[in-house]
Amino acid sequence: MNGAGERWSRRAVREAAVAYLLLMPALVVFGIFVFYPLVKTAYLGFFTSPPAPNLPAHYVGLSQYRSVLGSSELRDDLWRTVQFVLYTVPVGIVLGIGLATLANQRLAGMQFFRTIYSSTVATSTAVASMIFFTLLNPEVGLFTYWLGKQGGNGVLQSPSLALPAVSVVTIWQNIGFTFILMSAALQSVPDDLLEAARVDGASSWYRFRTVTLPLLSPMIFFAATVGVIGGFQAFGQIDILTQGGPGNHTLVLIYDIYRQAFQYDNYGYAAVQSVALFAILLVLTSVQFRYFQRRVFYARSPHEEVR
Amino acid sequence: MDGDLSPLAGRDAASHLLERATATSVALEGVSKSYGGTAAVRDLTLQAGAGELLVLLGPSGCGKTTALRLVAGLESPSSGIVRIGSDVVNDVDPKDRDVAMVFQSYALYPHLSVARNIEFPLRSRHVPAAERTRLVGDVADSLRLSSLLERKPGQLSGGQRQRVALARAIVRRPKVFLMDEPLSNLDAQLRVDMRAELVELHARLGTTILYVTHDQVEAMTMGERVAVLNDGALQQLDVPAAVHDRPANAFVAGFIGSPPMNILRGRLVGEGDALFVAVPGGRLALGDELARAARRRDLDEVQLGVRPEALRIELGAAAVPVAGLLGTIAATVTLVELVGHEQNVACRLAGSQLVWVRAGAGGAPMRTGEPVVLGVTGPVHLFDPRDGARVEP
Ligand SMILES: Nc1ncnc2c1ncn2[C@@H]1O[C@H](COP(=O)(O)OP(=O)(O)OP(=O)(O)O)[C@@H](O)[C@H]1O
Ligand SMILES: [Mg+2]
Repeated sequence: MNGAGERWSRRAVREAAVAYLLLMPALVVFGIFVFYPLVKTAYLGFFTSPPAPNLPAHYVGLSQYRSVLGSSELRDDLWRTVQFVLYTVPVGIVLGIGLATLANQRLAGMQFFRTIYSSTVATSTAVASMIFFTLLNPEVGLFTYWLGKQGGNGVLQSPSLALPAVSVVTIWQNIGFTFILMSAALQSVPDDLLEAARVDGASSWYRFRTVTLPLLSPMIFFAATVGVIGGFQAFGQIDILTQGGPGNHTLVLIYDIYRQAFQYDNYGYAAVQSVALFAILLVLTSVQFRYFQRRVFYARSPHEEVR
Repeated sequence: MDGDLSPLAGRDAASHLLERATATSVALEGVSKSYGGTAAVRDLTLQAGAGELLVLLGPSGCGKTTALRLVAGLESPSSGIVRIGSDVVNDVDPKDRDVAMVFQSYALYPHLSVARNIEFPLRSRHVPAAERTRLVGDVADSLRLSSLLERKPGQLSGGQRQRVALARAIVRRPKVFLMDEPLSNLDAQLRVDMRAELVELHARLGTTILYVTHDQVEAMTMGERVAVLNDGALQQLDVPAAVHDRPANAFVAGFIGSPPMNILRGRLVGEGDALFVAVPGGRLALGDELARAARRRDLDEVQLGVRPEALRIELGAAAVPVAGLLGTIAATVTLVELVGHEQNVACRLAGSQLVWVRAGAGGAPMRTGEPVVLGVTGPVHLFDPRDGARVEP
C-alpha cells in the first residue's frame, strides 16, 4: 500500500514537472510581453513624469491614481468612448443581421453579394480610414461634393459630426466581420423550425422575431461583446481621421492615453489611464466569458433535439 | 344549434373543443415533385374525403413526407394541383392554408417552453390570452404534458417531445392535420395508447387527417383508408382490409403483413379444364375464376402470392396431400422465429426461393434442415410478372 502510494506521488511529481516544462515557452513569452508590461504600467502610475526628459521621476504613491481616476478628463474620455461604442455596436449588429438575412436568400448569384459584404474583413483600419478621409475631405471629397458643402469645415472638422463620422468608418470596417458572424448563425437556424412556424401561421416578420432572432441571440451577444471591447480599443481610425479633434470631440480614452504618453511624455498619467482601461476591459471580458460558458451549453441542446 | 342563431357563437371559447369543425377534403391531382433530377413524388393522385383519416404508408424514401409538405405548402409541386376543400392552393402561402403539421423531426422551438411551443400557433393567429391559456391547458391535460409545461424541449425525452409536437398541432382546429410519423419515437405501450387516443380524437373532432407512417400495423389499425406509396408513386388506395386481402400489385402484397406475403415465381400449366401453377417442389390448382382471368391475360410465367397464414406445414417429405388443399410444395426448414407463442418458419424451396409460413400455437417445434411439405390452404393471388399488377379474378 505504502509502495503504491509513493509510486503514485512520484509519478504525479514527474507529470507536473513535464507539464511545467511544456508550459515554459508560453509562460516566458507571456511573462515578457504581458505580465511584465502590466506590472510595470501599474508601477509607473506611482510616479509623476518629470518636467524635462532627463530629470528623475517623482514618487507620489497613490496620489496620482486618486487624482487621475477622479478627474473630469477621464470621465469625459470615458463618456466619449461610451458614445463611440453606442454609435458603432448596435448599428453594426443591426446592419450585419440585415445583410446576412438578405444574403441568406436562396437566389442565384448570392455568392457574389456574400463576397462583397464580407470583403471589409480584408481591409485594414488604415486603408478604411484613408478611403473615408479622402471621401470626407472638405476640398475634394466626394461626400462633401454630394452634400454641396465644398470648402470651409468638413464633416471631420465639425464638433458635432466628427465622432459620428469616425463611428461610421468603424461600422463600415467591422461590417464584414459582423456579417460573417451573423451569416454563420443564420445558417445554423434549422429550416424545419422556420417551416413549422410558417405552417403555424406566422408571418415572415413574426417568424424572424420569435424564432430566428432568439436563435441568433448567442451570436448577437458575442458580436456585442467583441464590438464593445473593440470599441474601447479603437485607435487607428481616430489617429488617421481626427487625432482626437476637433477640440477634444473625438478624444476617446485610448487616444488620450497615447497622447499623454507619447506626445506629452506624461508616462505616469498615461499609466494610470491604462490601468483604468485595463480594469474596464477585464470586467467586460469576464462578463463575456461567464456568459458564454452558460451559453455554449444552451446552444448545443437545441441541436440535439432538432436533428 | 346556437351557431345558426349567432354567427359568433360557434367561435365561443367554451364551445371550442366540442365544436366539430366543418370537415374539408384534401386532394393531390396528378402531382409530381422532383428535386433536381430525382423524382420524390410521381404523378400522385389521391383524395382524403372530408373528415377522413387517410394513412400514407410506404417504405423509407417513398415520398410520404414530400406528399405532406406539398399539402402544407412547404414545397410547390413541379406539376399537378393541390386542393384543400374546393380551393386550388398551389399558390397559397403555408400560413394561409389553415393546416397543422406534426413534423417527423418534431421541429420544436428550442428557446421556448413547452407551454409557449404549444401556444405558438395560437399566438401567431392572435388568439386572446385567456383562451390561449385554456386551450393549452386542455391539450396538455389530454396528452399528459401538464407537469412539463415550464420545461424547454431540450429537457424532454424523445417521446415527450413528440407529444409536445402533437399538442402544438391539435391545439388549433385547422382544416387538415398533417401528421408525419407522429408516434414513431414512442415506446410500444405508449404507441398503442396514443394510437387509440388519436383515433378517438379524430372521431371527436371530425377533422381530416393525413397520417404518414411506415408502420403497417399503425396504418391498418388507424386508417379509414390506406394509400400505399412506393418510389413516389401510388400503389393502392383502399380500406385496410382490401389492401390486405386484395393487394393491387406484387409490391403491396410483399409490403403488407408480418411476415409479408410470399411472392413465388411459377409457371401456368393447363391440364384439360384445370389450371395449375407449378413452382419448384410442387404445384397448386387455381380456382375457376382466377384460372379464367389468368387465361384472359395470356400469361405463361406468373408471380404467385401466398400469405404465410395460408400455408400449413405437414411434417415429413412423404406426407399425403389432404383433400381441401389447393396443393403442396416440398421445402426445407431454414429458420424458425418465435413470436410470442407463434412460430414464423422460413422454408427454402428447391429453386432456392424463401417462403415464410405462419405456424400457429401448439405445433411441434420445427428444426432447421428438416424436410417438410407445405400445404396451401389458400387464398392465393396471381400477379403479372411484367408489371406486377394483380390478376383480378
Ligand atoms: N430537399 C430534398 N432534396 C433532394 N431530395 C430530396 C429532398 N427531400 C426529399 N428528397 C428525396 O425525395 C425522396 C422522398 O423523400 P421523403 O422525405 O418524402 O421520403 P419519406 O417517405 O418521408 O421517407 P422516410 O420514411 O424515411 O421519412 C427521397 O428519395 C429523398 O432522398
Ligand atoms: Mg419522412
